[in-house]
Amino acid sequence: MNCTRRNFLIGGSTTLFLSGYFPKISFASMKKKNLIIISLRGGMDGLTAVPVIGDKRLKKLRKKLILEDVLKLNSDFGLHPKLEIFYKLWEKNQAAFVHATNIPYTGRSHFDGQNLMETGAHIPYKEKTGWLGRGLLASNIIGQGLAISLPMPLLLRGVPQNNNFFPSPDFVETKLIDQIYSEFKGEHNELIKSTLDTIRQRPLSMQIATDSDDRKKLALEAAKQLKDQSGPRVAVFDLDGFDTHTAQGGVDGAHADELEEVNEIVTILNENLGKAFDNTLILTLTEFGRTIKQNGGYGTEHGYGSAILMAGGLLKKSQVYTDWPGLKKKELFEGRDLNSTIDSRAVYNSAMAVCFNQDPEYLRKEVFWGDELTDLSQELFKI
Amino acid sequence: MSLKFYRRVAFGLSPNDKQDKDPLSWALSQLNSIPDLLWPGTIPTEKELRKKYGEWVYGDREVLRKKFKNDKHAYKKAKDELRIKTGERYFELNEHAIRHYQTRHSTQPVFERFWLFWGNHFAISEKDFLAEFSTGPYQREIIRPNMVKTFEEMVLSVTTSWCMIHHLDNSESFGPNSKKGMEWRETINENHARELLELHTVSPNAGYTQEDVIQLAYIMTGWSHKWSRKNLETGDVWFDQEMHQKGDKIVLGVKYKNDAKRELAKVIHDLVTHPICIKFISTKLCRHFITDEPTQEMISPVIEAWNRSNGSLTEIHKAVITQAYKYNETTHKFHPPEIWLMQLSRMFDLSIPLSAEKMNYAFKSKPTSKQRQLSWILREIGNSPYRAKQPNGWSDFEIDWVSPELLLRRFWFASIELPILVKSENNSHDFILACLKNNFEDYENMASLIHQFRFGTSDKDLGRKYGVICNLPGVLKV
Repeated sequence: MNCTRRNFLIGGSTTLFLSGYFPKISFASMKKKNLIIISLRGGMDGLTAVPVIGDKRLKKLRKKLILEDVLKLNSDFGLHPKLEIFYKLWEKNQAAFVHATNIPYTGRSHFDGQNLMETGAHIPYKEKTGWLGRGLLASNIIGQGLAISLPMPLLLRGVPQNNNFFPSPDFVETKLIDQIYSEFKGEHNELIKSTLDTIRQRPLSMQIATDSDDRKKLALEAAKQLKDQSGPRVAVFDLDGFDTHTAQGGVDGAHADELEEVNEIVTILNENLGKAFDNTLILTLTEFGRTIKQNGGYGTEHGYGSAILMAGGLLKKSQVYTDWPGLKKKELFEGRDLNSTIDSRAVYNSAMAVCFNQDPEYLRKEVFWGDELTDLSQELFKI
Repeated sequence: MSLKFYRRVAFGLSPNDKQDKDPLSWALSQLNSIPDLLWPGTIPTEKELRKKYGEWVYGDREVLRKKFKNDKHAYKKAKDELRIKTGERYFELNEHAIRHYQTRHSTQPVFERFWLFWGNHFAISEKDFLAEFSTGPYQREIIRPNMVKTFEEMVLSVTTSWCMIHHLDNSESFGPNSKKGMEWRETINENHARELLELHTVSPNAGYTQEDVIQLAYIMTGWSHKWSRKNLETGDVWFDQEMHQKGDKIVLGVKYKNDAKRELAKVIHDLVTHPICIKFISTKLCRHFITDEPTQEMISPVIEAWNRSNGSLTEIHKAVITQAYKYNETTHKFHPPEIWLMQLSRMFDLSIPLSAEKMNYAFKSKPTSKQRQLSWILREIGNSPYRAKQPNGWSDFEIDWVSPELLLRRFWFASIELPILVKSENNSHDFILACLKNNFEDYENMASLIHQFRFGTSDKDLGRKYGVICNLPGVLKV
C-alpha cells in the first residue's frame, strides 16, 4: 500500500481512509487487470507502423516513404523496425495488431477526430466525458484512473477522482492544500474542489521532483503504480507529433521518431511491470490514419483507416486481426485513404469488458449508447 | 461593480494602479490605439529573427551535418556553438520577457488581453524552430498591428505571414495542374486550407466538405516562401504563379474565377463575412472574457457590433468588454496558468521578467538560469505560450486546466518560486495586505487566512502566505 498525503498526515491510521475509497473487490482472490491506453495524436499512419508487404501500388504511391528492413510478422504484414518491442512480444504471443480500423469518423479534422476518439461519440464536442471514464464508472471502478500528462485527458473524464501526474520541480506542503481546501464552496467551484480531494488522497510517491521532460521516468513511475495491487488499474499516456505532413520518412523520418516513443514506453512498461504484464493490456488510440499517397512535402495527408497496436499478457495470441479492404483505388475510402472495416470502438469495448470483468453487452449500452459494436473479446483477448 | 472586473478584462491592479470611478469607460478607452511595446531591452524584428533562423538551419543542415558526418561528438559540439551564435536557445526567452513586461506595465492592459486572445486564436503550435525564432515576432508584427483594423485584414495578414505559412506547410502545396506541379508531379498539401476554415474562420459548423478543403487549398497554392540555397525555407513569402492551380474554384458554393494571387483575398472576404464565422468567433471571445458556456444573450450584442461595423476589431472588442462588464457579477471565469501568472505579477509587483540589462545576451555562452527563469516557470505551470501542442492553441475551458498535477503546479509556483520573485522592499506583511485590499472585496477574509504567518519574512514564510492567497477560489477565478 502506498502512503497517501492524507494518511501520511494523520500518521499511520490508514484503515480509516482506506475503507471509503477502495472498490469492492477482494485483492486476494482476484488479480488486478490493467488497461493502458497510449493516445497517438496527429493521425498515426497504420501503413507505416504495420505495413502491407509487397503491395506494388503502395510502393508506387509512396516512393519517398519506402520502408526498408521491415520486421516480418506474417506473409501479408510487416512491422516498422522502430517497434522492436512489439516484435519481441509478438514472438511470445504478447503483441497483436488490429488493422484497417478507425473510429467512425471521416471528417479528417484533428480536433473533431481527437474529440471523438476520446468521447467515442458521433458528433464532435457533444459529449463531455470519455469512453474510458464512462466504462470505469459503469464498472464501479472509482479513483483508479491515472493520466500520465499535465492536463486530464478527455478520455478519462466521466468518473471522479482520477489522478494524473508528471514530475514537478519541487514538493508542496500538504498543510497548504488543507488550508485552502475549505475555501472552495459553491457549485462553480465543484470541479476544483473534487480535484483537490484527489490530490489529498494521492500517494506521496507520486510527487517526484525531477525533470519533467524525462519520459522514461514517467513510464517507470506508471509501471510502479500499476504493478501495485491496490494502485490504479487504468493508465493513459499522451503522445503527439504524428501529423507528418512533411518529411514523414521511412525507417528514420518524423513518423519513425514518434513510433520510437511508443516503443520506449511499452519497453519500460514491459520491463517494469514484471509479472503484472501478464495481466495487462496496452492499446493505442488515434484520430485517423493517413492518405495512401504521399503529398507535395513527402508527407501524407489526413486519412481514415489506421491500425491499433496492442501488447500485454491479456492478448489471446499474436495476430494481425483485420478484414483487409485492399488498396486499389476503388477499395480506398473516397479513393484516397485506407478504409476502416472494423469500428475501433468495438476493440475498446471488448478490452474494457476483459479488463474490468464486465459483460461487453452491458458496457456497449452504458458506454457507447448501444451502438452496433461486435464483441471481439473471444478473438482478441484471453477471457 | 466589484474589483474582479480588473482581473476579468485585464491583470488586476498593481500597487501603482488606481481604481477608476468608471471602470467600463476605463476599459473601453484602452481599445482605440495600439500601445507601444515597453520592453527596454532588445526587440528584434521578424525579418532579423528569420535571418537567424536561416543561419541556424543552414549552418546545421547544410554545413555541420556534412562536415561532421562521421564524428558525432564533434558535430554535437559544433552544433552547440552554432546554437549560441544564432541565439537559438535565447530568443524565445527574450520574447517571453517582452510579452510579460508588456502585460505587467502596459497602461492599456485590456488591449493586451485581446493581444493574448488573438495570438492564441491564430495560434502557432510547436513546430520546427518557430517558437525559438518566429512565433514571438509574429505576435508583435502580424497580430498586434491588425488589432485596430478589421477581422478581414487580420485574417489576410495572418494567412500570408511567413510564420503561419511555414507552420501549416503551405509552401509544400502545389497545384497539380500548375507548371511546377506538373513538372515535379507534386500535389496540394491541405493543412493550411483546412485550418483556415476550421480554426481561423468559419469552423466546422459551416458544414464544408472535403471538396471545399481541396478547392480552398487550390486557391492558396503559390503562397509560399521564396526558396534559395542560402535561405532554405526562410525566404520572404511571395506568390509563386508557377505553383498555382489553374482554373476556377468553388468553395462553400461560391465560384472563384481563375485570378491568380487575387483569389485568396476574395475567398477570405467571403469566409470572414459568413454568419457562422461571425458567430463562432464572437462566441470564442465571450468564452474568453465572460464564461465557458456563454449564452446567446451574451453573444448577440457582439455579433451585432460585428455586423454594424463590418468587422472592425475595435468595435468588436468594445462590445465584448461591455458584455463582460454587464455579466461581471453573475458569471465566473477560470484563468489559464499564464494569465494567472501575469495577474500575480502585476498585483504583487513581482520581479518578472528579469531586467532588460540582465536579459542582455552576448552570444558567447548558453543563456543563464536567471535568463531562463520566466520561460521555465511558464513551462512548469503547463502554459508555455508559444508551444501549444496543436494549431488550435490553448484551451479556454476550465475543465482542460483543472487536473491534480496542474493545480499542484500552481501551489508549487506560489509557495516555492514566487517568494524568490518578491522584491526586497515588498517583504512586509502590510504590503501583501495593501495588494489584497487593492484587488479583492473580501480581502479581510483572505488576510485572516494568512494572519498566522504575519511576522514571517523569510522565503518560507512568504511561500506560506502566497501559496494560500494565490490559490484561493477568487484568485484562480473571477
